[in-house]
Amino acid sequence: MIRLKSHTALFVIACCACLTSTVADAQVRGPAPGRIEVSGGGGWFGGEALGQRDANLRANSATSSPYRLFTTDTQFGAAPVLEARVSVALWRRLGIEGRFGYSRPEIRTSISSDAEQGNTITAVEQMDQYMVDGSVLVMLGRGFGNLAPFVAAGGGYLRQVHEGQTLIDEGHSYHVGGGIKRRLFTHDRRFVKSAGVRGDVRVYLVSNGAAFDTDTHSRVAASGSFFVGF
Amino acid sequence: MSAGRRVHRSVVVAALIAAVLVPRSAAAYLNLSVDLRGQTVRLRWASTPVRWFASNRGAPGVSASDFQSAAARAFSTWQAVPTASLSFQFVGFTSASAFDDDGTPTLGFENRPDLERVLGATGFVLDIVTGEIVESDIFFNSAFTWSVAASGNPTAFDVQSVATHEIGHFLGLGHSALGETEPRADGGRRVLASGAVMFPISFGRGNTADRELQPDDIAGISELYPSSTFRARTGVLRGRVLRGGRPVFGAHVIAFNPATGQSIAGFALGDDGSFQIAGLSPGPHVIRVEPLDDADAESFFDGSVDANFSVTFYDRLFVAPKGGAGEQVDITVRPK
Repeated sequence: MIRLKSHTALFVIACCACLTSTVADAQVRGPAPGRIEVSGGGGWFGGEALGQRDANLRANSATSSPYRLFTTDTQFGAAPVLEARVSVALWRRLGIEGRFGYSRPEIRTSISSDAEQGNTITAVEQMDQYMVDGSVLVMLGRGFGNLAPFVAAGGGYLRQVHEGQTLIDEGHSYHVGGGIKRRLFTHDRRFVKSAGVRGDVRVYLVSNGAAFDTDTHSRVAASGSFFVGF
Repeated sequence: MSAGRRVHRSVVVAALIAAVLVPRSAAAYLNLSVDLRGQTVRLRWASTPVRWFASNRGAPGVSASDFQSAAARAFSTWQAVPTASLSFQFVGFTSASAFDDDGTPTLGFENRPDLERVLGATGFVLDIVTGEIVESDIFFNSAFTWSVAASGNPTAFDVQSVATHEIGHFLGLGHSALGETEPRADGGRRVLASGAVMFPISFGRGNTADRELQPDDIAGISELYPSSTFRARTGVLRGRVLRGGRPVFGAHVIAFNPATGQSIAGFALGDDGSFQIAGLSPGPHVIRVEPLDDADAESFFDGSVDANFSVTFYDRLFVAPKGGAGEQVDITVRPK
């Protein structure tokens, strides 16, 4: 887990991605301006450690450390994610994209070192997590055969509905990443003008949500999807 | 009726009215309640500021003025709870004794060497129609050595710490079981640690830690005298403790928030093993159930406590909502 106090690192990575795109040659692999692509697929949204915390009681001595009743170690679990995207090409190598993702991660708290019993126990909660984000997509000029690499950066909104729908946590996210598209066919004169597959890897910086602090936390996500261009 | 803080285990009876302390299942920690005409009524003051007097009798090493100042600081501690709506007014010194049924809430020393394990106790006069507290008095047993030293005196009990505890009773709070003890050679118990000022057994001479309230105390007083935002900003845990499908009476339930590190506790006191803990900060909580074995059960409530089970953690995280109650939980414990 990486914790960043600011978004500086994110912007550095995003700037590097944009600089990379400026050295692209004329062999641009992106869709024509105005084209819309819709994609759907699934992947994996990474987890993170939320932290350790002891259940302490006030000890009967000003000089001794608190009396530990038990210890907890909480993880925000990784989970499969379903996602859908809509992207619009602004230029050949520049587009914007909106994404919706849904996953059901678990919060798992491991309980150990209890003062009166020795077993380690895990208490679990499963939540519904919704992410809506927008990205700027830059197609990199030089591809590899039918493969078109791209980089993306953006931000979005996070909504986490706890088990039993008794509590909603909200947060926001920033992300940078990249991926590769592979077109399976193109037909400029048909309604469906292209179709293919794409793979994405992203690093998300998530603030708030079901966190135990106000720091920004990083999570890695990877996904694959099928896209159709119109 | 009285509720007191003990040096260690003992029973003190200083009944001012013919009422019986009864458990109230619909409460976190423990609220003092009475049965009035078949209805369980929580003890509380109906209006604030609550006026109080200090006895003009001091004790060795503690003048009446010193005593009043320490008591005033203890009242201020409760008044400063941001999620509770409380205020107090010191009226003056009085020659009346604590426990005089005179309509003046009085705090003061009384020499009671016969109560050899009782540091202090709180008594009430109630309106038997509404359950409102009409008068509450606190006595401090001057058979013990007392101190008002800022950092405590290792040979004396701290007036402000014990006053903070007794004022909790004065306001209607019962004892909290959030603490750990060990047996002593003389048959009493030594406190290893506590998670509430309202734990029934004192830390001991020289210790001033109980001048400061803990989350369990704050939740308790806030639930009894809620501020305008308290109930909207905190959640309630409701559930049952069962063993073999049967209710377990008197089980101690702790809700621990791993995000904040705060523990708030209550008791399973309903006929069906039900319990309720209010004042939880929104978010996931670890739920731990333990037998009530760190003090005499009668320190807390009447009734035959079932302590024949092992410490048990609920296998789900309970998510406290922001306002209202979360999903009801059933926790099954195993016999020892």
